[in-house]
Amino acid sequence: MAAAASMVLAACGSSSSSTTSSTSSAPSDITIGTAYSGSGSYATSSLPELDGLKFWITQENKKGGVYVGAYKKRIPVKLVAYNDLSSASTAATLYNQLITQDKVNILVADFGSVLTAPAVSLAEAHKMVLFDQTGTGIPFFTPSNKYIVLCDLPESDIWPDPLAQFLIAKNVKRVAIIYATNDFDQSQAITLKSKLEAGGITPVVYEGVPTSTTSYTTILQSIEAQHPDAILELGYQPNDTAFLQNVESAGLHPKMTFTVFPGQLLSLFQSQVGTAGLKYTYTYGTNLYVNYPNVTEGLTTSAFKTQFAAAYPGQLNALSLMGYNTGLVVEGALKNAKSLSQSAIRAGAEALSGKMTTVDGKFVLNSEGAQTGELLPVAQLFPSSAGVTLHAVYPASQATASAVYPAP
Amino acid sequence: MSLSARRRPAVDEETKRPRWRGVVSPGMAVAIPVLVFLVAVHVYSNELLLVDMAIYIALAQGINIIYGFTGYLPFGYFGFFGVGAYVAGYGIVHLGLSGPLAALLGGLGGVVVGAVMLPLFRLKGAYFALTTLAVGEALYAIVSNPSLTSVTNGPYGLNLAAVYSSGWSFGMAVGLAAISILAVVLIKNSRYGMTLRAIRDDPYSASMAGINVARDRFYAWLIAAAIAGVGGAIYGWAISVFYPQDVFDVTVSVFAIVFALFGGIGTIWGPTLGAAVLYAVYNVVGVSNPQYFQLIYGLVIVLLVLFAPRGLAGIARYLHEHRPFVRSST
Repeated sequence: MAAAASMVLAACGSSSSSTTSSTSSAPSDITIGTAYSGSGSYATSSLPELDGLKFWITQENKKGGVYVGAYKKRIPVKLVAYNDLSSASTAATLYNQLITQDKVNILVADFGSVLTAPAVSLAEAHKMVLFDQTGTGIPFFTPSNKYIVLCDLPESDIWPDPLAQFLIAKNVKRVAIIYATNDFDQSQAITLKSKLEAGGITPVVYEGVPTSTTSYTTILQSIEAQHPDAILELGYQPNDTAFLQNVESAGLHPKMTFTVFPGQLLSLFQSQVGTAGLKYTYTYGTNLYVNYPNVTEGLTTSAFKTQFAAAYPGQLNALSLMGYNTGLVVEGALKNAKSLSQSAIRAGAEALSGKMTTVDGKFVLNSEGAQTGELLPVAQLFPSSAGVTLHAVYPASQATASAVYPAP
Repeated sequence: MSLSARRRPAVDEETKRPRWRGVVSPGMAVAIPVLVFLVAVHVYSNELLLVDMAIYIALAQGINIIYGFTGYLPFGYFGFFGVGAYVAGYGIVHLGLSGPLAALLGGLGGVVVGAVMLPLFRLKGAYFALTTLAVGEALYAIVSNPSLTSVTNGPYGLNLAAVYSSGWSFGMAVGLAAISILAVVLIKNSRYGMTLRAIRDDPYSASMAGINVARDRFYAWLIAAAIAGVGGAIYGWAISVFYPQDVFDVTVSVFAIVFALFGGIGTIWGPTLGAAVLYAVYNVVGVSNPQYFQLIYGLVIVLLVLFAPRGLAGIARYLHEHRPFVRSST
């Protein structure tokens, strides 16, 4: 009996009010359902994304709601957000909850590939468009899946294109690559290696480490023996933090050090690694550090920075910009959609491809729903009165400063 | 002697209970959870939550078989779960198997890995528990190794969306829960169950009494491994897109062990109740109010260990034995 009672409790407990789309009359609100990580290893990345999405919702609701083209009017936006505790298993049940119980109009994934993965097939099976924020994993994008839209980042295997070009342009001959063995980082490592080899550079070290790695001391010793000019570490934020701390504590001074996440979570890295450990480090330059004065949707870069900082003091980072950009993609898709059916919303998102520029750059979608427009420039962290300041250094079209190579 | 005189008495002479209860009561232990699931899926459309709950019931019963009946606690139980998911994934992607067949193949994968781990039974207590944990982590490292990308797809995970079927995976999960409960019923009420309990209480005395300790314990281990293997396979099939860290996750072991202990190990109903109650609490409180969840979960476990080490089943037994107007059996 207790088992029966608890199952019913589970059945009833986490349901909330639902809103269904209608083809005949406009709904009272547009519900956006998402999962976020309130704790656990993905919280530092997931929470800023959620803040960005909330900021977009607040902005739209101040105007009376998001404009829905099918009804030619603004409809208030309501957010249903559940905490997945950084667990993919929990995220899976929550996505299902949002689709089947809450019947949300728009389904938005949590941060990163691991927490997006459980939503991919669920969304496809329920014929529900998944607005994938930052899950850039390659298995998600297949020709048969028409129910996914990658909003804020390019597919992970094309991230390192500018980085490889930069290394070739600088004639860096001895390159060491360490990568965490997960989909996100390994796909970058493979692309980087093949691009470098095509440019005549064979990495002197090419080594995968478990994503759970928290100490790079031994690996750095073996890398140092190869006398690399550049050490490139591809990992998640905890990997990058540990790597940079270990580089500094080991007293290593390679000509170039590259990690993935300082460009996305600069203030976090400043507090964890410190200015000395960060200066002259290279990273991916996110669009937070690129100025977009002319946009087709949403706020310009400077307006976004000012208004977001006022709404969420001290919380501005690249991931909050991405969360905001997700809202802009949803906004564009709803504006273009002929109805609130999921296929119409998907078509609405496709119609944005190549025509929408936001604070996150140009939005270009390929036939599989993957984003290909927002190539990430190579950036470097320069010492400044504020600690370190990030500037894009390559390619020249996006550069705001000249690279300092080798690092002093 | 007449036919009626040879008929077995309606009351068990040892327990003084009607004999029909020995059949009906265990049957209800299987039938009630199945019926509840079959009803729940019609009133609650989040099938995946029910799939997870059914799988955790099965896993808790698997822990019940190996820990409750033999005393060996495998922290690395998640290793079988992950292997099951990956073997089933391999069957679907490379062999073109259907989901149900792949799930059975996942169970076989669990059995094979369980057989390979047989030498670990040279260890006892915490040493055994921690070594199985290390094996689970090693399996994760092997599966996610980039050098095995052609076989396991390495860190890229698997996409089984082509065979996704929420109805079938739900049915398989409920079936697995039923079979695992049935396995416990059969073991508990059999000579084999008595053998396992004898091994748990004192393996040396059991051996002296003619019990083949290694063989009988090994069978229990393989049954538990098969349950986890099928469970992992169904889980992987149900979510369809997963990475190695999703299925080789120590949380799976922690949940299964806590659920089994909460309900009461060595019993039929205990792990079922433990998994159903705690997984429901996890979803109701944990997701909406994680700050309270951790407090509540922690308090429940502390109180349980302090005041009810035999779990819910122990509490129920205590209440049953101390109910008012209980008839004396003497």
